Amino acid sequence: MTKKLLMIDDDPDFVAGIKAILDNAGFEVEVAYNPKEGLHALQTKQYDLLLLDIMMGRGAEGIMIARKLRKDVKLREMPVLIITGMREQIAFLFPGEPIHPRFVEVDELVEKPVEPKMLIEKVNSLILTAETKKAGKK
Amino acid sequence: MENKNNSKILIIDDEEVVLDSCTQILKGSSYKLATAANGTEGLNLAKEFQPDLVFVDLKMPGISGFDVLDKIHEIDPTIVTVVITGFATVGSAVDAMKKGAYDFLPKPFTPDEFRLITRRGIERRKLVLETIALRREKEMLREQFASIVSHELKAPLGAVQQNLFVLEYELASMLNNEQKEKLERIKIRIDELIKLINSWLRVISVDIDKLKAGFAPISITAPLSGALESMEPYATRKNIEIVSDIREPLSPILGDSLSLSEVFVNIIGNAIKYSPDGTKITISVEVKENDLLVSIRDSGVGISEEDIPHIFEGFYRAKSGQTMTGQGIGLAVSRQIVDAHSGSITVESELGKGTTFVVSLPLSKA
Repeated sequence: MTKKLLMIDDDPDFVAGIKAILDNAGFEVEVAYNPKEGLHALQTKQYDLLLLDIMMGRGAEGIMIARKLRKDVKLREMPVLIITGMREQIAFLFPGEPIHPRFVEVDELVEKPVEPKMLIEKVNSLILTAETKKAGKK
Repeated sequence: MENKNNSKILIIDDEEVVLDSCTQILKGSSYKLATAANGTEGLNLAKEFQPDLVFVDLKMPGISGFDVLDKIHEIDPTIVTVVITGFATVGSAVDAMKKGAYDFLPKPFTPDEFRLITRRGIERRKLVLETIALRREKEMLREQFASIVSHELKAPLGAVQQNLFVLEYELASMLNNEQKEKLERIKIRIDELIKLINSWLRVISVDIDKLKAGFAPISITAPLSGALESMEPYATRKNIEIVSDIREPLSPILGDSLSLSEVFVNIIGNAIKYSPDGTKITISVEVKENDLLVSIRDSGVGISEEDIPHIFEGFYRAKSGQTMTGQGIGLAVSRQIVDAHSGSITVESELGKGTTFVVSLPLSKA
């Protein structure tokens, strides 16, 4: 079954660069260009993974989304790939290595820009990890 | 900023004749003047009137002039204070100046003396306010610069690079080798630009005080092996062997592992960058008296004697005919970090033979 992803990012050019790769890899990608729209989509529809930008609007508005997810029993199970331009000290030091912000059960952080191969790998592995976890609970 | 026309002066003195003559002298000037006959009244006025300059008689019944001074500085430390004192008590004027008074006005005084001291006091107040404003502005610039740089410069570059990735990915089967190479070149240059911005951000945001607050006893192996691990792929690409001779257990040092790791990433990265393919980089650790010395030796192009004093300055790259591109900022950051650890970085080098960097860090006393 086609996996459905939501991307929340306010930079249309960057979104285009990510979406093209994921479309090509057979994912169905929906985009929200601001946190409000994104939150609404999350609450009304179901996704297999969220791609989340942190620095949006007037500051780190993506954090707000991540916090809301953490509090929501159902949304908490959805894997999140945080894609940020924000220079995370660790991301800067060890590029490409997995960093888990642990906002939700299954998440990882990568820095913009993201290599196509790595992007697809991360998306697939996060979805798989989340599914395995969920299956284990039942 | 208040201009001279609105400068406010408060005079606190129990002698009516002093208040009267001061008022008289400043009559017709553009200053706003208020007077008080004792400390209590003066302090109340100071809160309400918000003076730029306050004259305080040291000898008054009720609250002493010294206490009035203290309280005024509590109300607003930027208010300039001048004490009025009898000629015989210059000693107490000195005491008052030690407590923060800017100047003193000896009694009796001529109108000229009073005008001069007033003018100097007002000028002082302006300088104090200006300095504070500048300092605040500098701090704001520093903070804002970081976020402006990351947003306004990094974001567009990231978007450009992301779309290049897509192009390359989608066109992979259609491009010939020359076209692929061009695309690769564009990607590399943009990648370097992004890394440069990251380095700038590091320089701007290395907050030495914050760094020090997080110091803990650590073993040097943690940051060193972290750095080695992340630099390994770069070395492998150039077929460079990194030989490290690190024998456990090592005495701990007091520091921050992550930032020290960055120091080693920078130095090892440079060593790789400036070494010919197939050479060796040697890393050793030893204890010398109260210091831990980490030596990183390469057989690279070397640094000329005239360049050595400048390599830690930032935005500097050796002129010795190197064709390498880089940012010349890693070593500046590294030195900042090592300085914060009360350590030092030294360099020995010979052109064409190689370079040895030695990072010296004091051992934890505990």
